[in-house]
Amino acid sequence: MLVIGIDGATWDIIEPNLDKLENFRKLIQEGKKSTINLSQKPWSPSVWCSMFSGKSPEEHGHRDFVRNGEVVRREDIKVDFIWDILQEKGVSVRVLGVPFVIPPYNFNVDFEFVANGVPVEIGEIEKDLENITEKAEEILSKEKPEVFIVVYTTLDRVCHLHWGEPVVLDMYRKLDEALGRLIKHDKEVIVISDHGFCDYDKAPVRTLPRKTPRGEIKGDHHPDAVLITRNVQYQIKQPEDVFFALKEKYMGGE
Amino acid sequence: MSKGSYTTVSIPVQLAEKIEKRIEGTGFNSVSSYVTYVLRQVLSSLEEKEKKKEAFSKEDEEKVKKRLRALGYID
Ligand SMILES: [Zn+2]
Repeated sequence: MLVIGIDGATWDIIEPNLDKLENFRKLIQEGKKSTINLSQKPWSPSVWCSMFSGKSPEEHGHRDFVRNGEVVRREDIKVDFIWDILQEKGVSVRVLGVPFVIPPYNFNVDFEFVANGVPVEIGEIEKDLENITEKAEEILSKEKPEVFIVVYTTLDRVCHLHWGEPVVLDMYRKLDEALGRLIKHDKEVIVISDHGFCDYDKAPVRTLPRKTPRGEIKGDHHPDAVLITRNVQYQIKQPEDVFFALKEKYMGGE
Repeated sequence: MSKGSYTTVSIPVQLAEKIEKRIEGTGFNSVSSYVTYVLRQVLSSLEEKEKKKEAFSKEDEEKVKKRLRALGYID
């Protein structure tokens, strides 16, 4: 099973541009698309943590990248993630860049992210995307794990400061190209975002400040997230269900 | 400790026998030299890991916070 997380991806950009996003189009044709209306706050650290621990924010207790002035680490979060559980059962699993913490979390993978996984400038964001795709291709073609989870922060990072600008669609196209390079390695695929994105003034839930030392914030996180599955039986309705989908597939009713 | 001086550590006889078999026909001429080699390897990889962790906690931590602030993730 291949799980591709795309931080901040929204149907509001994918759908009207499907003619330019051929790999999204292909996956949708071969699988199923839906919208996840988040029952929790559209906030990356807690949503990614829920997605791979199967726990709600109340249960896992993880809210922010920084707590009491300190960058939160994996060890600070007292949960077992799906990769911990599957590995224990003898399933081969690799994880590249799940951004519930900074730097994004790897499991059985040695990799360093551009700017510790918080690229801000366009050039940094592009470089990060390319590096991750190269590493992911290497893992998929050489190591061939049963489960591979990879997450891109590309779209989220660009949307914070550039929502509404042409560079956003450019990044979607680059991400689409990356998608094409990965999905050919596995029949079973989950593509999922942790939240959507929208114009700052139209956000139903306010999660970001208007201004930062870097400049004006142009967009905000939206509670509608993207889901596409190909050859996945389990019904995914909330982020937590990705945990249960993987658990059921590899561990049955255990 | 000065270079070239040695001390003795104890390991189970069974383990020593296993190692003796393993080093037959290799460049290791004693159980001691093999054990020394293995321990050096283990320790250096542990030290490497610890260094990586530390490397993030100081300067990089401030850089990361600055970037998170730029995006609006923290105040
Ligand atoms: Zn974001």
